[in-house]
Amino acid sequence: MKAITLQNLSKTYSGGKQAVKQISLSLERGEVFGFLGPNGAGKTTTVKLLNGMLVPSEGNCSVMGFDPAEKPEKVHALSGVVTEHAQMYDNLTGMQNLIFFASIYGVCKTDSLKRAEVLLEQLNLEEAGNMRLSTYSTGMRQRLSMARALIHRPQVLFLDEPTSGLDPESAQNVNRLIRNMAKQEGVTIFLCTHQLRYAQEICTKYGLIEEGKLLAEGTLDQLRKKVKPGAAVKIYADNVPKGTSLQEIGTHQYETVIRSDDEIPKIVRNIVEGGGDIYSVTAQRPSLEDIYFALTTREEEIL
Amino acid sequence: MRDSMMALIKKDFRGVTTNKHLFTGLLVVPLVLTIILPSVFVFLIYFNPNDPDIQKLLELLPQSAQYGSLELTVAGMILNFILPVFFLIIPIMTASIMAASSFVGEKEKHTLETLLYCPMSVKQIFRSKVAASFILSMTVSLISFLAMILVLEFETFFLMGNLLLPSVNWLIILLIVSPAVSLIAVTLIVRVSAKAQSVEESQQSAVFLIIPLILLIAGQFTGVLLLNKWILLGIGAVCALLAWLLLKKCMGRFTYEMLLK
Repeated sequence: MKAITLQNLSKTYSGGKQAVKQISLSLERGEVFGFLGPNGAGKTTTVKLLNGMLVPSEGNCSVMGFDPAEKPEKVHALSGVVTEHAQMYDNLTGMQNLIFFASIYGVCKTDSLKRAEVLLEQLNLEEAGNMRLSTYSTGMRQRLSMARALIHRPQVLFLDEPTSGLDPESAQNVNRLIRNMAKQEGVTIFLCTHQLRYAQEICTKYGLIEEGKLLAEGTLDQLRKKVKPGAAVKIYADNVPKGTSLQEIGTHQYETVIRSDDEIPKIVRNIVEGGGDIYSVTAQRPSLEDIYFALTTREEEIL
Repeated sequence: MRDSMMALIKKDFRGVTTNKHLFTGLLVVPLVLTIILPSVFVFLIYFNPNDPDIQKLLELLPQSAQYGSLELTVAGMILNFILPVFFLIIPIMTASIMAASSFVGEKEKHTLETLLYCPMSVKQIFRSKVAASFILSMTVSLISFLAMILVLEFETFFLMGNLLLPSVNWLIILLIVSPAVSLIAVTLIVRVSAKAQSVEESQQSAVFLIIPLILLIAGQFTGVLLLNKWILLGIGAVCALLAWLLLKKCMGRFTYEMLLK
């Protein structure tokens, strides 16, 4: 059984705005899926559709086999959600908040206490656990939301910009936690972000969305093949013979685009045999950011 | 699922008791209606028993409603005919304080979405919110009644030398009318709260629920409608039926999408 499936999923709001347009994709268990796109692209709407907060205008979706539009409570019992609009209670302490949500999820008091302690420690909130939420900083609130979403050991985790407002160290901590959960516990992660570099660090599969339309989806290698095959080879060399395909981009710096890695030895051999001295050779593959911009530019050109 | 609902009810109670502003609001109305107002009546009767209007009124009273002395008869009349209607304001006001902020309060604090992501249906959340406000309203009403009886008995005993006996009206009020009125108020206010965009808007709508009571109070004072036990039982039965219907039907059409708007 797939962890998450979307089939021609569309959502048009009552005002007429089409926020999600015919999205189809499926995710295996334990996958860390990066749902990437600019603000207003339709990421949050998709998360809401997957949690039954919104009813699709067309198509359908399922989470762990349950249709969220039909059985939202079943989906909620199996999933955890972190979004910027899902806050907790200021008049309760961090620990009280976690215990409250654990009891709503049906976790018994002893288990919830133990689980809350572990999560607070993992998210560096041990000391803040007994402080009221009203005294928390934005980053602390964000981390506590993460603990809240994990308190009932969900099988699917929906994270909408989980590291926005976090300092680099906390962001790294959260990343480690996400990665471990996916690897060790088989939790499926649906991560919405517009921070492409951050996504590239932890995701195993990606979906790029713009104006409600899924531009492309797949692993990084699949996206590279689809969008920008090959790599840019940068060579730092002296006395490079003339007549090669290399383009000079700076002092002793050359660049060329290759379709496959097999071309690299040939290029190096040509330089050396022509009397050149090579100091370094690096093959730069397109990053997620390069792929994203290539896709969005292509889309604009089509329009 | 009961555990989830209990957890939500407990959390809502805590929200009221830890909020000084709300808690004070919760105490003021019962204090005025069950301690200050009855005391003012008792003292007025005690210090001004020969008012000609009161004399005329007493002549109209049936023999059964008369106590030993003139002061005690008037005090008894106030206790058994006037105060029950004032008393009904308490469940409505108490309910409005907690119920008005039930959904819209969560929305303003950005906690509603978190709650909706939990494995509870909209109906269960609605019922928990209604139950929390209802239990609070009934607790405050009962404590207020006990406090009122204690203060009134104390005052009449020391000022007039005798104790007053609450009539069967009070039993009907406490067991049927007050819970039913409270449930109607809570259900309607929680429903309004689900649609409102701010707590103030929700509270303003709650004020309209007092209007039928004001008419009842006016009726009692002018003598147009003198509540006897049968009228009270009738009102109680109608209110209970209305409360049951509201509770069943009120939240039927609400969806997550409507609540998050």
